[in-house]
This record gives sequence, C-alpha cells and structure tokens, in this order.
Amino acid sequence: MLSFILKRLGFMAVTMLAVSLLLFLLLEINVESVATKVLGPYSSEEQRTLWLEQHGYFQPLYVRYFSWLGHFLSGDFGDSVRFKVPVAEMLWPRLANTAILAAAVFAVLIPLSLALGVLAGMREGSKLDRSISVFSIVTTSIPEFASAVFLSAVFVFWLAWLPGTSGMTAGFSFKELILPALVLILYDLGYVARMTRASMAEVMQTHYIRTAILKGLPYRQVILRHALRNALIAPFTVIMLQINWLLSGVIVVEFFFAYKGFGALLLEASLNQDIYLIEACAMVAVFVAVATQTLADIGYMFLNPRIRFH
Amino acid sequence: MTTKDYRHVHSAIPGLIGDLEKGKISRREFLRTVTLLGLSAGAAYGLAGRITGEALLPAAHAAEGAPKKGGVLRVAMPVQEITDPAIFDWPEKSNITRHLVEYLTITGPDNITRPYLAEKWQASDDLKTWTFYLRKGVKWSNGDEFNADDVVFNFKRWLDPKTGSSNQGLFSAMLEEIDTGRKDKDGKAVLEKRMIANAIEKVDDHTVRLNLRTPVLSIPENLYNYPCAIVHRDFETMGANLAKNPIGTGPYALVEHKVGERAVLRRRKDPYWGGEVYLDEIHYLDLGQDSMAAIAALASGQVDVLHRLELETLDAAQAIPDVVVSKADTALTGVIRMKVTEKPFDDIRVRKAVVLCADNAEILQKAYRGMGTVGENHHVAPIHPEYAKLPPLKRNIEEAKRLLQEAGKEKLKLEIAVGNAYGRWEQDSVVVLKEQLAAAGIELKLNVMPAAQYWEIWNKVPFGITVWVHRPLGVMALALGYKSGVPWNETGYSNPQFDQALAKAESILDVEERRKQMAVVEKILQDDAVMVQPFFQSVLSAHTAKVKGYQTHPTLYHQFNQVWISA
Repeated sequence: MLSFILKRLGFMAVTMLAVSLLLFLLLEINVESVATKVLGPYSSEEQRTLWLEQHGYFQPLYVRYFSWLGHFLSGDFGDSVRFKVPVAEMLWPRLANTAILAAAVFAVLIPLSLALGVLAGMREGSKLDRSISVFSIVTTSIPEFASAVFLSAVFVFWLAWLPGTSGMTAGFSFKELILPALVLILYDLGYVARMTRASMAEVMQTHYIRTAILKGLPYRQVILRHALRNALIAPFTVIMLQINWLLSGVIVVEFFFAYKGFGALLLEASLNQDIYLIEACAMVAVFVAVATQTLADIGYMFLNPRIRFH
Repeated sequence: MTTKDYRHVHSAIPGLIGDLEKGKISRREFLRTVTLLGLSAGAAYGLAGRITGEALLPAAHAAEGAPKKGGVLRVAMPVQEITDPAIFDWPEKSNITRHLVEYLTITGPDNITRPYLAEKWQASDDLKTWTFYLRKGVKWSNGDEFNADDVVFNFKRWLDPKTGSSNQGLFSAMLEEIDTGRKDKDGKAVLEKRMIANAIEKVDDHTVRLNLRTPVLSIPENLYNYPCAIVHRDFETMGANLAKNPIGTGPYALVEHKVGERAVLRRRKDPYWGGEVYLDEIHYLDLGQDSMAAIAALASGQVDVLHRLELETLDAAQAIPDVVVSKADTALTGVIRMKVTEKPFDDIRVRKAVVLCADNAEILQKAYRGMGTVGENHHVAPIHPEYAKLPPLKRNIEEAKRLLQEAGKEKLKLEIAVGNAYGRWEQDSVVVLKEQLAAAGIELKLNVMPAAQYWEIWNKVPFGITVWVHRPLGVMALALGYKSGVPWNETGYSNPQFDQALAKAESILDVEERRKQMAVVEKILQDDAVMVQPFFQSVLSAHTAKVKGYQTHPTLYHQFNQVWISA
C-alpha cells in the first residue's frame, strides 16, 4: 500500500518536472521574445539587451532552467508584466476565490447528481429514469456561455433578482456567487448524474444484487447496503476529474461574470502575454490536474480493494 | 476692452477677433486658439458671444438642478497599475490618478483648454517662449506648498531619456540630439536626446518659463496629455511609486488600489483649492474584458458609469431603463495601412489600386453603424481645428484594374493582419474592404490574431489595421505616424516634401493660413496612397440617470470634480 502511494507521488513529481521543462522551453527559449514581452513592443533593442543581461538570460539554457526551477520551488514566480506586482501576490488570492466557487459548486453538485443518478439507475427504463436522462442530456449539451447568457437574461435583466456581475468588490456576497455557481452546476450535473446512472444500472444487473432481491431483502436495504458502494466507484473518479475540469471550465464563467478567480487570471495573462504569470498559472493548473489524478487513484483503491495497481 | 487691448495677451489675438467677425474662422476655432494663446476661457467665451451673439458659456448642466453633496460614484473601468504617471501608456490609468495629481492645464469636453494648476500663461509672438504663472495657495496632501520647483522637476524628469516618458515626443522642441562619443557595434555614433540648456527656467516661486527650439502652438494642450500629471518634487526620493505614496494636489485621496480589481478614492478632509467637489467617494471597479459583464453590472445597479460602451452592447444599454448613453465625436480611427517598403506595396500603383477600390462611407455604415465621420485617407479629422476639406474621394474600379494591369498584378493576393485591439469593428471594416477589393479582382485574406500579438508586429507587417487614438490636433497624429524615421511610423513612409510641408504647418499661427498649408499636407499624403482610413469613430459611454454633470470626453478622460449624484 505504502509503496503504491510512494510510486504515485514519484510519478507525479516526474510529470511535473517534465511539464516544467516543456513550459520553460516553450516560453523562454527565445530570449528576445521574453524581453519584448516584459519590456513591451516599443522598447529599444538596447533596453532589451540590457534587461536580458541583468536578468541572466545570456547564461546557458540548462543553467537558466535550473535557476528558474529553483525560484519556482521557493515560490518566487517573478513579477507580473501587466499588473506590476509579484505573481504570487495575484495568484494565491485568485486561486482561493476559485476554490470558493468550486466548493459552492461541489456542495450542490455532488449530492444532487448522485441522488439523481442513483434514482435513475435503480429502475432502468422507468419514467423517472427517462425524465432524468433527458434533463441530464439537455443541461450537459448547453455550453456555459449560452446558459450564462440565458440565466442572466432571466434573473438579472428580466426579474432583477440577482446582481449581474460577481466581482465581490464590496467583500464576499452570497448573492453574487449564485449565478456563476448555477451555470457550472447545470453544465456538470447532467454529466455526473449520467455516469452515476450508468454505473448504478450496471450494478443492478449483477448476480449478487439479483440474488439479494430474490432472497427477499427489502429493496431499500439492497440499494443502500449492497448496490451503492459498488456503484459509486466510477462516479468517484468522475468527480475527481471535475476538479480538474473546473479549473479550466471556470474561465468562461469567471470571464462572463467578472468573477476574480484563477480562470479569469489565466485568460488575462494569456491575452496580455504576461509571461511569468502564464508560467505560474500553467504550473498550478498542471499541479492540480496531476494531484487530483493521484488522489483519484489512491481513493479508488480504498473504495475497491479488488483493484491493484502495479 | 477694445480689440487692440487684447494685444497685451498675445499679438495675434486682435487678428483672430477680426477673422471671427468676418466669419473666416468658426467660433470653436476662435475659442480654441485664443485660449491656447493665454486668454482666459471666460473672457474668450464672452468675446465670442459678443461677436457671434451665441450664449456666453455652455449651459451643460443648467437642466440638471443644483448639485448635491455626498454619495459614491461607481465606475466600471479596467484598474491597471499606476506606479508612475510619466510613463503611463493607457489613459485609463490616468483616470484614477486625475483625481489625485493634477495638470497645469485642462482641456474640457468642448475641446477648449483652460487654466488648472497654472493660473494663466503667455506665449511670445514667435511661439518659442511660454511663461506659465502658477496658482498660489495650492497645497500638496502632505502639507507642502505647490510651487515652481514641482513643475521644473516634472519637466526635467519627462525629458530625461532614462525616465522613458512619451512626453519626450510632445516636447521635442525642448530637446536636442547629441553625440555621446560612443560607437555602436556597427561603428555608428550613438546619439542621445537631452534637454537643451535653459529649456525650463524658474522665474520665481510661482512662475516658470519654457524656451523652445522651434515654435509650437499646442503647448497648453500638450500639458493635459495624460502622462503630464504634476507629481510632487520629491516623487523620486519618496520611492517613485504613486500607488504606494499617493501625494497629490487633487481633491481626492487614494485609499485602496488593487490592480485588476478596484481602486477607491475618498474626498480629502482639508479644503480643496479648486472649490467645492461633490462626491464622497469614487470607486473604480474592474469587470474584466467582457463587455456584457459591464452591461449586466449597469442593469443590476452595481455600477453607475460605464467608462466605455462597446458598439455591440449599445442596444442592450439603451434598453435599460434610466440609463443615459452619451457620445463624443473623436479623431479615433482604424488605419488600414500599407508598408511602402515591403512588396507588393513598394509599387505605388498597387497601393493606389487598393485605395481606389475602397468606399469609406460604406465601411463606416457597415462596420460601425454610421456612427462617426468618413475618413479621407490622410488621418486629419473634421473635428481637428486645422482640417482642410479636400475634393471628395471617388471609387474607381476601372482605374484600379488598369493600374494593376500596368503593374503586372492582375491577380493580386493580399493578406491583412487584424488584432481587434479596440473591438470587433476593426475586423468588420476589413471584411467590408475585402468585398470592395474583390470588384477589381484583388483577393484579401484575413489573419485575425489576439491584440497582444498584433502589437508585436503592428509596425512590421506589410498590411494591417492599426488603431490610432484621438489627438486634439491633426498635426500631432501626422508628426507621430508619418514623418520620416519617427519611431511610430508604421508604414515606413518617407517623403521629404511631406516632412517640410508638415513642419511649416506646425509653425503657422494664423488659422486660415494654417488650413491652406494643411490642404497641401493632406493632399501629399492622400496622393501617396499609404492607407485606407475609412472613418473617425464616435466614442460612447453610459451612465445611470442619477449621475449628474457627467460629460463624455473625446479621449475618455475622467475628472469628476463637478459630478454629483442626485437622490
């Protein structure tokens, strides 16, 4: 068990290193372009050369990579070109904001989608199952930018119940959290519910469930004691993957509602070629992806002792 | 006061009065020129009113009732870093700091320049010596008195190449180029710009004098250009960071500034030299780059003012009850320019063919819903005081085809870079042009890219559409973009005849004479066919009806000293 966890963590570290090298090569191999990004297109060649010299850009590539990596590991990501403040000062609060949004989404999404999925999967082909399936397909197939416009039109412009943007400029506001969370929940709900339904339906077909029903156990007990645990293994992975999806999926929602989160920051960094901010955001996103994957693998093993990774 | 008595302000004023009486110049041109020459705006409006019989002062807010003190104004606008006003590169930065640090002059939404931190000014007859009399009794927020040392410090700082301020270009008549004695790697002498000796003189504690190499009429106007905010004389020793050390002469204090999120300004407790200001606080809120977010915020009452309204959201804004959309005519334009040093545009026949295919009025109609004025491919706008009207351009496909045939380019294929830096209308303009070019058999391919990417190649790419923001004078835009060898000359255009004609126009005071000269300048540029410049657009902004005293400035500058919120 311990060796498995260590192996996973080791694999995670190697992946991160490989990605960091790729990122470094992609963004920093052309020093002239780095200087132009930092000093702006109007800078003179003399200014750029001076800057490159001052910042050690004329050293060999591998020296630069390791010094870059060292700074990164110590939490020094450099200064944002656009915002003129250290990247870390922007990054962590924005990440925290996205975590708040994600927490709100999951708090509703997980119980709701699991309940819907289990209800639908319990009796495959029933009216309830078909209604839930249709609802799931419809919500999943509407992209976030469309549902964001639609929900805004109804709740902001027509009914005037909710605020139109979620900048939280006057401190945390629950009301401002509703629309962005709702858009994400709607989009993801159907997907997780359908995965749960499929998994539940599959379990319900197994021999041991049939045996349990035939031997006269109450239906409730069959579902709660026997079916659920096995049916939830697949959704668990799906949900872990949603954390990953949320990090990129929020870009649209954060942009639309002017929510000051990680996705909006990543977008702004890319649009403005804010090189050090892009590097930090990309590394954080990769870290979240790899970490959730590792957690999912480990969690999977706990849930289903029959599964072993070698 | 008789006409002759105005001679003591400036010798040219009596002549201008005569021109206005004879109808040779418009009231607007008159006001603009005499105020630049040092006559107070009040006296100028009074004089113009007596001559033309029009109302004395613009009664902008007469219908809005008595101003009310108090309240918070919330403005949707990008909140960027505001470290050093001298090197600002976006007017939005200055909109926050304009309530904090002030300027020597102020140009109003009516395009008239008035005194601000300078009480009045005087220009010598040859327009080479300018004397500014500074206001007395103005205090910095740290208690120091504002004086000539502050102004001298700022000028020296702007003109020092190490500062990297764009003001160097504005006040180039105060600079000279010297040989540093060093050689670059190609063996060429390294030249450096530096301030000419005695370019700025402290006459006494409240008077400064500028001594220029060449005559410049637009000095007072330049002083309200957004990087010309006057900072405290100890700005450098205090850390050269306005966000961290916000000391100013303005009525507001900066209490919070978070880049990308918000900035909060609060009215100072001590009395303001400029009299009563009404708002308790001004909040700038950054709503990101989605124009719909701004509209949603306005609709749900989260903000009171949208700094800039995109054309795509105009209908949505107009549909919100109690929202006022205001418009200002500007010289902001998208220039579809050809790099004359690159193939195939090094052949003037090709450039002429492109220009002959374009129908600028149609582009304005289709790409910007007709909200603006049609351009004439010479980058001088009808709202510029020195604008000279040339014969209208005519579309001529047959001539275009003939030129292409002559150049051996019947099946011409072109590619244009589009960055949409100022909105979707840039791309839409090019799409309309594409259709127009097709009539002469020219095939145009669009290469649409993110704005940041476009700014990396804007002055290198053979064919591209570049946005030029509003400048109060036509000569300013021409000097920046089309003079031989200047840094922002994106077309590589170089014509000594044009340079000379422009330099001559820049030094003529008489409006009538200057306009005659501008006709020459415009014609040279038009004939050399370096660009299709379809239109000058109107800028839009929106605010809720409870915001009073708000006027859209052509450069979208904010100064909310006279804005208030009605109950």
